[in-house]
Amino acid sequence: MSATSTIARREISGYFNAPVAYMFIVAFVVSCGTVFFFLERFFAAGQATMRGYFSLMPFVLSILVPSLTMRLWAEERRQGTYELLLTMPFRDGELVLGKYAAAMFVILMALALSLPVPMMASMFGHFDVGTLVTEYIGVVLLASVAVAIGQTISCASRNQMSAFMATVLILLALSLLGQVPVWLTMPAWLAATVNWLSLSYHFLSFAKGVIDTRDLAYFVLLTLLGLYGSTRLLSAGKWR
Amino acid sequence: MITVTNLVKRYGSFEAVHGVSFTVGEGRVVGLLGPNGAGKTTIMKVLTGYHRQSEGTVVLDGKDVLEDPVGVKSIVGYLPEGVPLYPDMTVAEYLGFVAEARCLEPSARPAALERVVEACGLAGFTDVRIERLSKGYRQRVGLAQAIIHDPAILILDEPTTGLDPNQILEIRQLIRSLGAHKTVILSTHILQEVEALCSEVLIINEGRIVGQGSAAQIAADMQGDERLECVFKGGPDVAYDSIGALPSIRSIESMEGSVNGLTRMRLVVAYGEAERAAEAVFDWAVASGAKLIEMRRERLSMEDIFVRLTTEEVRP
Repeated sequence: MSATSTIARREISGYFNAPVAYMFIVAFVVSCGTVFFFLERFFAAGQATMRGYFSLMPFVLSILVPSLTMRLWAEERRQGTYELLLTMPFRDGELVLGKYAAAMFVILMALALSLPVPMMASMFGHFDVGTLVTEYIGVVLLASVAVAIGQTISCASRNQMSAFMATVLILLALSLLGQVPVWLTMPAWLAATVNWLSLSYHFLSFAKGVIDTRDLAYFVLLTLLGLYGSTRLLSAGKWR
Repeated sequence: MITVTNLVKRYGSFEAVHGVSFTVGEGRVVGLLGPNGAGKTTIMKVLTGYHRQSEGTVVLDGKDVLEDPVGVKSIVGYLPEGVPLYPDMTVAEYLGFVAEARCLEPSARPAALERVVEACGLAGFTDVRIERLSKGYRQRVGLAQAIIHDPAILILDEPTTGLDPNQILEIRQLIRSLGAHKTVILSTHILQEVEALCSEVLIINEGRIVGQGSAAQIAADMQGDERLECVFKGGPDVAYDSIGALPSIRSIESMEGSVNGLTRMRLVVAYGEAERAAEAVFDWAVASGAKLIEMRRERLSMEDIFVRLTTEEVRP
């Protein structure tokens, strides 16, 4: 555990020294504001709900989270510090978990700083607090999947840029997958499968204020899969 | 204590190390010497658990690298080639991170930091960001991180590359003092370094050990390799050729007669026979009336050994 926190703290200091973290936080807060006030036309709609705001979260996170995860391993490779980390008395899992925790920490900070958006909105109407909490839980789960997948891709990439592009593409694809059954007519079983794979589909119930264990399982499973993938890639690299 | 048995390392279809075995005892400084691409770095990467070997066993202080990788990593200090560091951290932050990663108790960290800063000549640089340091100072930081947890085994990949002559002397002094109570393996292609630092040498070429032991031992293994250079003053009337028939002398390698009244010759002497041969030459000179004005024993230098083992001989 302490090994994980050592890595996480080193990574967080890297984020703030770079200074990727500040840019991420600013970009996140600005996109939240833009989505809320301009794209969703909160005031014109005249409804005390933030569902529209949260339904765009998968896309905002798909583009912003890769900027945090791209450096996780690709940068260590470039600097050669990869070798240093892998010859320190860490287990591969501890390294992966530490880096995951660091990226999540920055995202949670950004989320905390975006709280003024719903707080301001609540001055204009009565919002259901339970729904808001569920929506935020959904965003955290979404971010967790994005970080886990992004880390795996960074682990497999030679440089940050290709890690970024690949992660954006995969996350956007997973988010947009939910739209496919809407656009195309397809057999029910296929539509169900496509929906099950889609990030935005599972996120939608959270945005509606519903916590379904199946959705929860989906996010947890994908996160674990991502973390496991990174660990395996690290171990496999030692045989090469 | 390091025991390597029949180590084979393949990268895909390329075999970088073909069955290397060696042992390094405690308190020894062993130099891995070899041309570029010989497999020195690969051996070090396997020893530190960064790369896994394809075959063979590697045991450090009783811990097998494959069975107990974390255990091995905790007793090893490692300076990788090229000295990778986090450029965004200050020296103190970085060393603090390493101390923590190396499981040093929080209470022991300040003292450890002070010790390595002192030992590596980093005083006054602790608050400087690593990206602003010169190459020599980065090298020192790399060495400092390798010894901050006072490891029993120290593995240094080319520890003095990029340093100026004064720094090289300082770093060598440091390694020598560390070597007194640690097991140190260092790789280099600087031959004087091996002679200055190492109690033992492993000469590696194309993934194999081609020479092993102290410099003197290796020379001994390459029998018949000493030379005796003699200069005589005297006329051409002396029958110099008869030296070749003296006991302990194998042959006359070259002879230059009567240049400025001097005759120079190089004699080939069997290894270990040089003293007796020198005595015989002296007695011969006295008996035949030649004036021996210079006699010099040429030992096989590290350079000679290196060149021979890595170019001329191709062993199976």
